[in-house]
Amino acid sequence: MSHTHPPGNGGADQGHAAPMVEEITDFEVLEIAVRELAIEHGLFTAEDHRRFTEWTESIGPAAGSRLVAKAWTDPAFKARVMEDAVKACKEIGVDWAEPTGFGTPSDYMNLRVLEDTPTLHHVIVCTLCSCYPRPLLGMSPEWYRTTNYRRRLVRWPRQVLAEFGLILPPEVEVRIEDSNQKCRFMVLPVRPEGTENWTEEQLAEIVTRDCMIGVALPRLDRTADVHPVHKARRPVQSSTHSGEARHERKE
Amino acid sequence: MARSKPPKNALNTAANARFKVGDRVRVKDLPNLFYTRTQMYVRGIIGTIAACTYKDVIPEDEAFNRDGRLEQYYIVRFRQKDLWPEYQFDNDTVQTESPERWLDPVDN
Amino acid sequence: MSAKSEVDSGRIELLEALRQAEKTWNVLAPRYGVTNPNPPWKTSLSAICDCLAASGALPTLDRRRAEDELAESVYSDVPVPERQLLALVHVMLSRSLLDESDLANRMRAVRTRLESA
Repeated sequence: MSHTHPPGNGGADQGHAAPMVEEITDFEVLEIAVRELAIEHGLFTAEDHRRFTEWTESIGPAAGSRLVAKAWTDPAFKARVMEDAVKACKEIGVDWAEPTGFGTPSDYMNLRVLEDTPTLHHVIVCTLCSCYPRPLLGMSPEWYRTTNYRRRLVRWPRQVLAEFGLILPPEVEVRIEDSNQKCRFMVLPVRPEGTENWTEEQLAEIVTRDCMIGVALPRLDRTADVHPVHKARRPVQSSTHSGEARHERKE
Repeated sequence: MARSKPPKNALNTAANARFKVGDRVRVKDLPNLFYTRTQMYVRGIIGTIAACTYKDVIPEDEAFNRDGRLEQYYIVRFRQKDLWPEYQFDNDTVQTESPERWLDPVDN
Repeated sequence: MSAKSEVDSGRIELLEALRQAEKTWNVLAPRYGVTNPNPPWKTSLSAICDCLAASGALPTLDRRRAEDELAESVYSDVPVPERQLLALVHVMLSRSLLDESDLANRMRAVRTRLESA
């Protein structure tokens, strides 16, 4: 879907319209040109592209947050999630068959939810190419796609987590789930203490995307992931601190 | 190149699966023929079957459009201490997914 | 892990001409006061990648391996998502899914069309 520009600088609408980038970059032009040529050469159809674009614009991490909040408050739902996560997703309005009827060529239809416990902490990664549970979490964050994350998380998990500000006690099992085939994974974090009377909506607010990847723990006082994440030049050696340390990340 | 499809049998029916949850297996170190999703870091390492996932054509076959052969896929769990020298934390693990043909049984 | 390179990482003239440091979204958006972290074409780019994989023209793993190689070499200094776009086009050109002169011609035509809208 191409981005059209109004003529002039939209001065008449100033104060009403959201600001726009008022120039046509070569990147915008390139994307359109590639798409048109690809369709003309039969690499894919305009209809397929439209469907995937709309689907991409429809996904986001709110769905995952809803699933976690509902699992926290409804044990029967949680049991259904653990039994057949794709089927349970339909209860929160997510259909893994979209937009083709048999899913996407990257997400497939085999979701497995990884349940954390006080002694087991999951983190997801795809070392091969950055596969990610897009129907539940939306587009993957850029750091998740980097070779820096993908190569280092499996080898140095606690150092990488420390760079995100997450330090876990040594007796906790840190379990890295590498989604190298067709299963897709999402973390179901431990429900934090102090949320006993919260509504599902309140709970969903503290389940951020990073919590469902496993690089953060839900916090009562945080409803957004901290951005940007800087890679420490000398990764912190994991320590015996318990709980989560919030310290400045050095660049 | 063939288009990638969802698993033909997405149900968790591990009928005729060679391995079951809890079995110890070793990842083979087969030569890479063009297209493999079996990572180098698990080659030759012993792990434990954590789950049976689905049956599907193996990626190497799918890449060349040879329909027909279905394999059971598994999630295999490895101890980090078995993957990396001097890994410091005894309890940490990694899980990856593997088709059956990449796994050999290990006697307990 | 395949020993062979996934993509020819020689520089492509047409794409090199697109390297304008001041035209990437991370620079342009603040200049115009736009808070959206992503350019409007990002979802369309993602859809292109999905469509190429779905049709078999360019499987995801091949594309991502090429993108990793190019991100560490030719386009290491280009911010995302422009880097992702350039890497995609680079691998498509290198696999003859696109032709460089066709692309150049089409870009001129698209720009003319957008500027006269």
